[in-house]
Amino acid sequence: MHNQLFPLLNAYLDGELRGPRLRDMERHLTDCETCQRELDELRRVSDLLRAAPLPAFTPADRFASNLTLLLPRRPQRSQPRRVPSPTWWLVPAGLLGLWFFLQTVSALTNFVYAADASGLLGQVAPGLNVGPTQTAWFTATSNLFGVQMSASLQSTLSLLNQFNVLGAGLVQGVFWQAGILALCIIWFLAWKISGETAPVNNL
Amino acid sequence: MALTETPKTELDLIQQAQAGDTWAFGELVRHHFSPVVNVAYRICGEMTLAEDMAQETFLRAWVNLNSFQPTGSLKNWLYRITVNATLDVLRRKSDMPMDDEVVQMIQDPTPDPETSLVQKERSENLQKLLRSLPLATRNVLVLREFGELSYQEIASVLDIPIGTVMSRLNYARTRLRDLLKEQPSMQEAYA
Ligand SMILES: [Zn+2]
Repeated sequence: MHNQLFPLLNAYLDGELRGPRLRDMERHLTDCETCQRELDELRRVSDLLRAAPLPAFTPADRFASNLTLLLPRRPQRSQPRRVPSPTWWLVPAGLLGLWFFLQTVSALTNFVYAADASGLLGQVAPGLNVGPTQTAWFTATSNLFGVQMSASLQSTLSLLNQFNVLGAGLVQGVFWQAGILALCIIWFLAWKISGETAPVNNL
Repeated sequence: MALTETPKTELDLIQQAQAGDTWAFGELVRHHFSPVVNVAYRICGEMTLAEDMAQETFLRAWVNLNSFQPTGSLKNWLYRITVNATLDVLRRKSDMPMDDEVVQMIQDPTPDPETSLVQKERSENLQKLLRSLPLATRNVLVLREFGELSYQEIASVLDIPIGTVMSRLNYARTRLRDLLKEQPSMQEAYA
């Protein structure tokens, strides 16, 4: 018990012990002379420090009035954080809208192409003309060798053409999404630069 | 109810000062000068330096006042600034050494030489003993004995765990006790 309580004598002296610890300490102090002596000595150090006289400082009134003359102008900050104006918010909102629109158009186009390729469209909506799904090289090759091409070669070319159309779609998709992302980053940077920098808390 | 008659609360003054009112800030300085300069003096041991540190503390407090949360204790926030300002001032001071005795002789007015001489000597001695403690330990002891903060408050002012507060305080008081035992001039006061 003594070994556990001895290091807590300062905490006891400072009124920092609570509950069972405090009761243990009080009980222990009644019959441990070592702890009693140590506590007395620590208390004397503390009393001596607190009783040490202070020099005659400048009176508080004078110090305060001298200090107020030294105060630098502080930038007024009625709003703790700068909130961008509604016009600023229109930019990312517009970009988000654009992304949504293009994503929807792309998904619909892919769906229509897929439906067309599988021949569904002709049955469901015979009047709907999907338009060219061929790449330039496929059209050129077909026109050049149209008649001489074997059936297997033609189907291979047709398959390659499908991949190419799909690939071009993917590349385009990546490009315009990257473009929108870039615009978002530019907007954010512009906002950061135009805004006042928050004061550094260098206490 | 004469609302204009009621004295301004500290919270009112803080909010006014945060809005840029230098008069309100002056009132806050007036209230807190004594605890701040006392803590500064106990850390550095020199009167002029302590007042410089107090001035530095309040200037920094003014500049950063908007970052102070009025729910917290202004005094503890000021102590935190004082401790950090002290670190800077002492660092700066270590570049140009000063003779402590000379500085003390010039600064300390001795109103009644006969009675206060022993006391003055004792006080200077005590300050010297305090300064012999490592700064980190001294800060904890000073905030406890002269700032009258709880262990929890000291921990948050100095950004250290409460266990560190306890161990530094144990070390500081035990070390001072041992040093006092060695000092013949202090034995009388200590015994
Ligand atoms: Zn014991």
